[in-house]
Amino acid sequence: MSIRTSFFAEARRLSVEDALPVVYKEVDLRENPDHPDHRFNLTVSPGEVVAIIGDEDSGVGDLGKWTLGLDHPPSGRVVVFGRNMATLSYDDLLLFRRQMGYLQVGDGLLQNLTLKDNVALPLRYASDHRMSEVHERVEALVRSFGLADDAGLRPAQANEESRRRAAVARAVALDPELLVMEAPFDGLTGRAARALLERATMREDGSRRTVVITAQDLPPSVTSFLDRVVRVADGQAVEESA
Amino acid sequence: MTAAVAAIGESGVRRLSVLGGLARFAFRVARSAGRLTRAGRLVTLRVLINQIRFTALQAVGLVTLLAALLSFLVIAQSTQQLGRFGALERVGTIMVVVVIRELGPLLTALIVVSRSGTAIAAELATNRVLGEVTALEAMGINPDIYLVLPRVLGCIVSVACLMILFDSVALVAGYIGAASTGMQLARYVQIVLAELAPKDVIITVAKGISFGAAVALFCSYHGLAVTKGPTEIPQAVTRGVIATVVAIFVMSAVFVGVAAA
Repeated sequence: MSIRTSFFAEARRLSVEDALPVVYKEVDLRENPDHPDHRFNLTVSPGEVVAIIGDEDSGVGDLGKWTLGLDHPPSGRVVVFGRNMATLSYDDLLLFRRQMGYLQVGDGLLQNLTLKDNVALPLRYASDHRMSEVHERVEALVRSFGLADDAGLRPAQANEESRRRAAVARAVALDPELLVMEAPFDGLTGRAARALLERATMREDGSRRTVVITAQDLPPSVTSFLDRVVRVADGQAVEESA
Repeated sequence: MTAAVAAIGESGVRRLSVLGGLARFAFRVARSAGRLTRAGRLVTLRVLINQIRFTALQAVGLVTLLAALLSFLVIAQSTQQLGRFGALERVGTIMVVVVIRELGPLLTALIVVSRSGTAIAAELATNRVLGEVTALEAMGINPDIYLVLPRVLGCIVSVACLMILFDSVALVAGYIGAASTGMQLARYVQIVLAELAPKDVIITVAKGISFGAAVALFCSYHGLAVTKGPTEIPQAVTRGVIATVVAIFVMSAVFVGVAAA
């Protein structure tokens, strides 16, 4: 089933045409940078899968929230699809995020909903799908993410791998152009991590999704899927080979 | 002295700030109603029905019991006092004035606060602590639409329905009490109807809407205001319940003033 596009026209209207998916400009990753030149700068191109890694105190854990506009950096700019996230109003941010997917640390699943209902959430409340279309799309996502057996479980009843798969299925339910994932492989086996990333990078039309991953470390099994690995050192981005 | 004035000022400003926050919150929730998607409308309706089941249907037994007991107490006390003055016929008047107009709506709202208000505040505070509110915002879903709106509508419908139930049970129980003093049913109905005015119906509906909205809005606001962690949840519940109880009493007083005018 293809994703309806009319509802996302509004979200895209807020973007700048042909703008890069994500640009971090002179961002302070640490509360007290020891040098004014130690700023984080990074550009993510369309279709690129980039992993940003760093220690717990490197500030890398904040990048996901800043990219979604859920919080803002103390200084510097996070520009997504040409828009400085700090300048959008709360209502515009809600609209704008429909073209972005987000996997927050842990999974962010709603505990009183089944995994299947969690996957259906964005389709029900952030799209103009009819109920029948929502059912059809959710079934397809559940099958595609291998959740058929666990779909009726609540997050607390499911194992970590199923929860993570459900959270990623929910993040890509609207087939977003950009996916931001925070520590997506923690607690997963190498094979499960690779399968999850493989599915997350694939868009409905077969093209590659732009993916930004923030983590403290990466399992070796996923590196072949990454276009770039960037390590945060002293608040700056240092390119590593993927 | 200066410090004392400053302390009063600080606390006053804090309270005003909470009131301002509540007003903005109520406005945001009301505005969000117009932004429901078509699938969202159906799901919200389902959540609303569930909320009514928890808030109204599951409280029917308790409301019936308390309404009957309150009527029994009022009738028992009034017949004793009125009997001394040979004014037993005023029992119906007392039922309408005391139970239907004042105590019925007040007790109904207090029952809903203690059962559902606490649940709403605790649930939304847990949603906040577990990062579920952030998850909703990240998906482009307005938490007011998903979490608050169905609860507000559910509480409004539930409190209004429970008030009608409370008044009905109270009137029936009142008749049973009055009948024990020898009053005929026709006479009782005549006295009650003579006391009831169309204004009473309008005020009961208005109380149902405002008390119901107050329960859901105050408890949701304090539940969602949790920031620090799970230890703050019981405090949020307490704050929500106390604020709602105070608001309900204040609104009751305002309704008395409006009715008198």
